[in-house]
Amino acid sequence: MNDRVELFRGNRIFLSCVYWAFVLYVFVPLILMVLMGFKDSKFIGFPIRSWTLEWYTGVFADAEVLSTFGYSVAIAVLSTLISVIVGTWIAVLLEGRKFTGRGVTFGLTVLPALVPGIISAIAFRIYARYLGIEPGMGAIVWAHAVHNVPFVVLVVMARLSTLPKSQIEAARDLGADPLIAFARITLPYLVPAILGASIFCLLLSFDDFVRSFFLGGYEPTLPVLIFAKLRSGMSPEINAIATVALILTAVIGVWAERFTRRMNKES
Amino acid sequence: MTDQKPLVRIEGLSKHFGETVALDNLTLDIAQGEFVTFLGPSGCGKSTTLRILGGFERPTHGRVILDGEDVTNQPPEKRHVNMVFQDYALFPHMTVAQNISFGLELKGMGKADIKRRLQEIMAFLELDSYAGRYPVQLSGGQRQRVALARALAPDPALLLLDEPLGALDAKLRGQVQQELKSIQRRTNKTFFFVTHDQEEALTMSDRIVVMNKGRVEQDGTPEELYFRPASRFVAEFIGETNLLSGWMRGTEGDKVVMDWEGTALKGKAPAGIPAEGKPITASVRLEKLGFHADRPQTANAVQGRVVGKTFLGSRMAMQIAVGDKDEPILKAYVDAETGQSVGSDPIWIGWEADHMAVLND
Repeated sequence: MNDRVELFRGNRIFLSCVYWAFVLYVFVPLILMVLMGFKDSKFIGFPIRSWTLEWYTGVFADAEVLSTFGYSVAIAVLSTLISVIVGTWIAVLLEGRKFTGRGVTFGLTVLPALVPGIISAIAFRIYARYLGIEPGMGAIVWAHAVHNVPFVVLVVMARLSTLPKSQIEAARDLGADPLIAFARITLPYLVPAILGASIFCLLLSFDDFVRSFFLGGYEPTLPVLIFAKLRSGMSPEINAIATVALILTAVIGVWAERFTRRMNKES
Repeated sequence: MTDQKPLVRIEGLSKHFGETVALDNLTLDIAQGEFVTFLGPSGCGKSTTLRILGGFERPTHGRVILDGEDVTNQPPEKRHVNMVFQDYALFPHMTVAQNISFGLELKGMGKADIKRRLQEIMAFLELDSYAGRYPVQLSGGQRQRVALARALAPDPALLLLDEPLGALDAKLRGQVQQELKSIQRRTNKTFFFVTHDQEEALTMSDRIVVMNKGRVEQDGTPEELYFRPASRFVAEFIGETNLLSGWMRGTEGDKVVMDWEGTALKGKAPAGIPAEGKPITASVRLEKLGFHADRPQTANAVQGRVVGKTFLGSRMAMQIAVGDKDEPILKAYVDAETGQSVGSDPIWIGWEADHMAVLND
């Protein structure tokens, strides 16, 4: 009995060591990146002799960085709107009445999420040219929206499957036609899922490099700009940009996660 | 039923789900103000009938006439019928007041009228203090009342109740049964109640329709069903009973004489008199069997021995073997004192012919 307890304790120490090693492995690069953004020198590396906010003030004064940031946000918001509307609509269709070809439809809907980014980006590029769509914002929004639809479909369908049938029947029973029942019962029930999916889409779009790179025009998105700056050498300015982006996405991500969890608990 | 026009007329209603027949040619009238219970095991067709009345299923054959109007093909939102769902189906994102007003809003009622009706119905069901609460903040009994208030608020011609007491604990259920019955009396609404619980049906209903395999087994008052079951199924489903299997011997006045364990027993005749020598079954309720030291003057009497007792508080259930067998074939309820005084000596069991119903299988 005692032996087993000892073994268990040993296991636990070993497992927690592995866990913390993993955490370090993930976070040390991030911490280094953040630190270098405050270093008062163009050369990345230790020791840090003096600290500065110069890179940050520089970034916030850099019109190119700011407009690129705005451009990325606009693309994220537009593509998210499209994916959420289309994705919710598909989810409602798929989760509703059973119809022949439902499985195939579901497969075709989810498949794009599994196609490697580089492949779908090239395919989009060729197709856009074929359709006569100029590279630029429209093309990027389109590609991001299409890529994000499967995530919306999956999240919304999961939520929809937990909506008791009696909820809709009760609404109908009380005088709601199918459309009113959808607007007043189904949609409010889906709000946590739709919000969660939206945040996820925003972050996916904001973070995307491959599609934005292949389908972009002259104006770069933020990830593309960072990539372009890297080609002319690593600079603490990039660290500053990355740190701001990191904090922003982390805050939104954590908030969204807690928010959806709370909403789910309430209903 | 009175000579006035029935509120609901169900004509030759059938529902097939693929090969299975859920409801088989049901014809029935329901009068205004009646508390009708559809009772039966799961799959008997009671819920299908309810869902057809609510407009959630279309019948394969037949019609539903509500208040003189054929509503068979009307969707639920067009019908003057409301329903209390088994899981209550309260809207989680709406408060109690919003839940109750939902149906009123959709009826196109004005704001002031909605407010008045809301207050009226909440006062009636003692929900005033919960108006601002959300369903998650309510107990099971309170939720049930909100569901009832929401269904009653639009003033439906017919209220459907789909096993609404199933989710409540036993103690609360008894209380809610009384409450429901009194609400039905005070509102004079027509209640169409569906349950598999025979006790619930007996307590509340004016009329019980016992369903089995999509067909009506018997349609009558609770007393009729209990004391004069028309079939073996009804006798077994409602209350506890002794089923005696014997042979038809003949008739004596309006009574049937049967052979059972070598004794001639007299009972009430079923609708069609069976032929002599045919196997028949008779039902006699547990509380109708009397214990006697000597042969009693009752129409039926057999000698037996008590081979088992179960103490139930106010009364005792006795297992009785008849003749020289050891297996108990009769069960009886006696008061606890009598039960205690009975030993293992042979005793006489007696019951009247009127207390035994000979059944159609």
